[in-house]
Amino acid sequence: MSVAASLCLLGVLGAVYNNFYYAEASPDQALRLIVRNRVSLANPFPIAYRARILQVPGVDEAVIYQWFGGVYKDARDTNNFFGRFAVEPDRIFRVYPEFKLADAERLAFQRERSACIVGRKLANRLGFKLGDRVQIVGDIFPMTLELVIRGIYDSQADNENLFFNFEYLNKGFGGRRQMDRISTLVLHVRSTDLVPTVSRQVDDLFRNSDVQTLTESEHSFQLSFLAFLGNVKLFFLMISSAVAFTMFLITANTMAMSVRERTREVGILKTIGFTPSEILRILIGESVTIALIGAAAGLWLATLLVNLLRSAPSTFADLSTLRMPPEIYWLGFASAAVLGLLACFFPAWSASRLSIIDALRVTD
Amino acid sequence: MSAATPQAVITTRALTKEYRRQEYHVYALRDASIDINAGEFVALMGPSGSGKSTLLHLIAAMDRPTGGEILVLGHDLRAMSESEVARWRNAHIGFIFQSFNLIPVLTALENVELPLKLTRLSRRERLDHARRALELVGLGDRLGHTPRQMSGGQEQRVAIARALVTDPDLILADEPTGNLDANSAKDVLSLLTRLNEEFGKTVVMVTHDPHAARTASHVRYLEKGRLLPNGEVPEDWAPIHA
Repeated sequence: MSVAASLCLLGVLGAVYNNFYYAEASPDQALRLIVRNRVSLANPFPIAYRARILQVPGVDEAVIYQWFGGVYKDARDTNNFFGRFAVEPDRIFRVYPEFKLADAERLAFQRERSACIVGRKLANRLGFKLGDRVQIVGDIFPMTLELVIRGIYDSQADNENLFFNFEYLNKGFGGRRQMDRISTLVLHVRSTDLVPTVSRQVDDLFRNSDVQTLTESEHSFQLSFLAFLGNVKLFFLMISSAVAFTMFLITANTMAMSVRERTREVGILKTIGFTPSEILRILIGESVTIALIGAAAGLWLATLLVNLLRSAPSTFADLSTLRMPPEIYWLGFASAAVLGLLACFFPAWSASRLSIIDALRVTD
Repeated sequence: MSAATPQAVITTRALTKEYRRQEYHVYALRDASIDINAGEFVALMGPSGSGKSTLLHLIAAMDRPTGGEILVLGHDLRAMSESEVARWRNAHIGFIFQSFNLIPVLTALENVELPLKLTRLSRRERLDHARRALELVGLGDRLGHTPRQMSGGQEQRVAIARALVTDPDLILADEPTGNLDANSAKDVLSLLTRLNEEFGKTVVMVTHDPHAARTASHVRYLEKGRLLPNGEVPEDWAPIHA
């Protein structure tokens, strides 16, 4: 049980860790770069930078991707939390070609200033339908959005956001004055080979400006959100170490008790003719087998939990690509086997060396 | 070992087992000399703490003597390593305990099969031998029963089947009827007699019970760790004419 519970937790942690730090970007993601203020996400940068960025060889398109925030219905209900971004409807689909939307819905989104589109998963979660009105009260921006859902897009990964027209924000927020700064700009690069060069060249463009930029991959950008929570790597390491240590202690104690309870049996086996080394092999074999059964149960449970997490709302990070990588299974089984061996070795060795008379003297 | 007769399967000379606890020396067995011939059924009797079980354990090489000599089936047990002794015990000794000592999670058939796992027999052969041993002790219909599903008498018969399944030369029984009712004890003693008389097995049995001792062909007494001379009986004990 202890091995199963611990490996379940370690399996889930491993899968999440792998998803955060080692997950491979999809072909579309690999072509995108995100530009933001080098200081922090909270500091915007001039919208005028876009014109110069589009001049960089390899940059196909650049779309404003402005976080709006705000409150939808009751902010205390975490179910009401989702991403709300102001984007340019005529550019967004060139940067995010994986967003699948009916042509009529796409046209409506591009034509109406108050139109918005939502991801399929979000629509399912909150029961959104085409034509529904959505009111979002601004907190960063002092305005209330009155939006109409004109499209529901499908996407393999990012499908829990609401996108509305940047022009609506621009006009509503600034009145007659246009917004001149934005938080993020998403670039579409022609080829993955050009991505590192483009990233460097964009940042070099503004190296001597008052406002410098940081251009990074979508994956790195997502990790920077995660970093808001603190040192997540250390957090993972600490939890995993604590779980592994506790698992070792509990398992070692259980195995020691189990061997102690079987001391009399050891005496019987020796009387029958089993040698100390054969008894040691039997006890260790049983311990390793029990640990492996525990590992199988724990990893199976972890797989179920990972599947559940994958369909859970993405609050801090996108978990829609969460998977149990094969390495976690191998690592889990290997650590369980080593644990079974280590936890049992010393009590089993002592028991196998007991004299028959001493072993038989032990009462159940 | 000059006194050993040609047919003696057990010969001990001044066999001693001494326990030392700091300055205290306790003799569980002192200077025990005995010859037991092939095909004999010998009962070892004596009060508690007299050293009879110790003598039996030394004969079975379950314990090591601290002095004297012991030759069992021509083997000097003191010269053998622990692994050699284990294999020798498996091949030549069948041991029966007072408290049966069956493995509780195994069935009767599996318990009896256990000693054969150390042989080169195939699984089918092992199970065949175990089945026949259980049939011999009258438990052919209890093969799949675990010890918890059997009476004490039946458990002891399974233990006897386990002791004889390897066709050992010597059967050593440590108070085999001590935990049984009168009827079960009678069955077990009949079995031991049969093994001795029909199959020619040498049987050495430790017992408190004069009725049990009567089934033996010879009775030897021990008192305070000493083996009494042949025919001598401890004080306050009525002699048994076996």
